[in-house]
Amino acid sequence: MAVSEKKYYHAIQLIPENCTGCTSCVKVCPTEAIRVRNGKAQIDPNRCVDCGNCVTICKFHAILPKSDSLDIINKFQYKVAILSSSYAGQFTEDIAYPVSKQALIELGFDEVAEEAMVTDFMVGLIRDYIRQHKDIRPILSSNCPAVVRLIQVKFPSLLPNILHQEAPMSILTRFLREKIQAEKGLKDSDIGIFLIVPCVAHVTAVHQPEGAYKHLQDGAFSIGMIYGKIRDRLRKMNNEENKINTYEQGLTLALSGVEAEMVDCEDIRALSVNGTDNVIEILSKVEDHYLDQYDYIVLRSCTNGCVGGCLNVENPFVAMSRIKKLIKTSKHQKVDTSELKELYKDGEFAVVPLEPRSIMLLDQDIKQAIQKMKKLNEILVMLPGLNCSACGSPTCYALAEDIVSDKASIDDCVVLLRRHQKEEE
Amino acid sequence: MAEYWNVNPDYEISAKSFLADKPEADVSLEFEIAVKDFVNAGKGSAEVKNTLKRLGVDPAILRRIAVASYEAEINVTAHSEGGKMYSYIYDDSVYIRFEDKGPGISNIEQAMVPGWSTADDLVREMGFGAGLGLPNIQKNSDLLHITSEYGSTTTLEIIIYYS
Ligand SMILES: Nc1ncnc2c1ncn2[C@@H]1O[C@H](COP(=O)(O)OP(=O)(O)OP(=O)(O)O)[C@@H](O)[C@H]1O
Ligand code: SF4
Ligand code: SF4
Ligand SMILES: [Mg+2]
Repeated sequence: MAVSEKKYYHAIQLIPENCTGCTSCVKVCPTEAIRVRNGKAQIDPNRCVDCGNCVTICKFHAILPKSDSLDIINKFQYKVAILSSSYAGQFTEDIAYPVSKQALIELGFDEVAEEAMVTDFMVGLIRDYIRQHKDIRPILSSNCPAVVRLIQVKFPSLLPNILHQEAPMSILTRFLREKIQAEKGLKDSDIGIFLIVPCVAHVTAVHQPEGAYKHLQDGAFSIGMIYGKIRDRLRKMNNEENKINTYEQGLTLALSGVEAEMVDCEDIRALSVNGTDNVIEILSKVEDHYLDQYDYIVLRSCTNGCVGGCLNVENPFVAMSRIKKLIKTSKHQKVDTSELKELYKDGEFAVVPLEPRSIMLLDQDIKQAIQKMKKLNEILVMLPGLNCSACGSPTCYALAEDIVSDKASIDDCVVLLRRHQKEEE
Repeated sequence: MAEYWNVNPDYEISAKSFLADKPEADVSLEFEIAVKDFVNAGKGSAEVKNTLKRLGVDPAILRRIAVASYEAEINVTAHSEGGKMYSYIYDDSVYIRFEDKGPGISNIEQAMVPGWSTADDLVREMGFGAGLGLPNIQKNSDLLHITSEYGSTTTLEIIIYYS
């Protein structure tokens, strides 16, 4: 399998001065991308899938999310913010949703759009795609960039199963670009479109989109990063009702279970899975064709879906309950999607076939790989099997693997070292 | 003891000579399968799959190996008093042997018939017992050899080639 050589961008940064080498991050990384070497955490860019687990777990602020600075919006004449659906769950219920949306205008944007505007259109698109691809089962959702990268890294044989269409916020970006150019008589380069996102993965995806044919967004701001500024504006705004349109009915995209329910219908059986460990377990079953009875699987790296994103401020369960309430108590807002349908028909939302980022191979040559595996197993029986991570590798198996790949030595095992010292005493 | 054989004609010669010699494998794995342990059953076959993934075995072949070994592993936990799974990994094939502690299969030919099952209520509750496991193992392996007898143990061996 061909593996492309390009450098991978990640929206996280290590702050070595803050790192204590505690190995908490090493243990939570789903792709074993992190090692502590010489007392400091290091991330292998080929393995990282931007799930954000390490950002959440680090108590020493040694792994921080990268986010664009809000000033960059001023480079554009017309500034648009697109809200990810989880935004709506971040505010206490005394703050009306339209007001929290208006706050972004106060922050300097000329227009605020919502991912929720294209939800109905997305459900139609997904159903149509599933029906058009009867030979591939199950179809896997492509909305979560962390999941897409996880499949590229750990389950490359499932790449053809991914829904090869742009994510909702990118579809909306395409649509708004053309609409604003036509309505306001602006050039493409005068319009800045920015996403307000719940996670590291979406910031990465804006900077290095997988499979995109065209220029999409100009930057991404995390909810966590702008939250303080928004609260400031809200205080000044005094919760005054305004006439801004909102699309509560479409907020379902933030909740993986509800999205699956929406796609599910007479001829389409959908399953919803969230949380990195669950996603990995399910993908392994899909690989063995144990889940072929499903037509569509909604996969989200975070608990409950994007409400669980690591750069949100509210607890995922509380945020979910708020969003559910908003959906229940709101009226349907009609969105004219005829233009979107045209663009979809013309194949405008299709993406380039996704490529593997395979890290699994011990060696290109199977004979060599078996020899390395043999050596790996020989080392493994010498190691204590405690999986304590004190060596800086996530498990004893990973250390053995690091040793055969010349990235570590058996002396890195602290437990063995101590045993030897005791014997000598 | 009664025996059951099924060999893919393309591999008949190499598979038989393999069983006659049983050359030592550079990489081998062992996995204990406890009786009615549906939580852990499946981990042995998952381990084999993950090992083979690292060696670069083709995904379609990986799937055949995963399915065949998973079904055999579940059969040991569901229908026997427990046993062991031994996997031997070569550069062109994998040989996996399941040995259990009985009670054995009274009629192997019948057990091979799709839909035939003696699964008890617990096994059915766990979602197994359609009687499709053994036929599925046969479909996905290049060699299948079962040795068993009622009141004795069961040994199930499979070989799958990578190309
Ligand atoms: N290791 C074993 N020991 C004793 N009996 C077995 C063993 N493996 C299979 N059998 C017998 O063979 C029958 C058929 O096995 P098979 O795997 O085809 O179906 P199943 O296990 O009953 O159902 P399924 O595999 O579809 O969940 C079993 O019901 C059982 O009676
Ligand atoms: S973001 Fe996720 S995949 Fe990347 S290093 Fe951190 S834990 Fe690992
Ligand atoms: S589930 Fe949503 S919030 Fe979490 S990583 Fe994926 S896209 Fe981001
Ligand atoms: Mg069975």
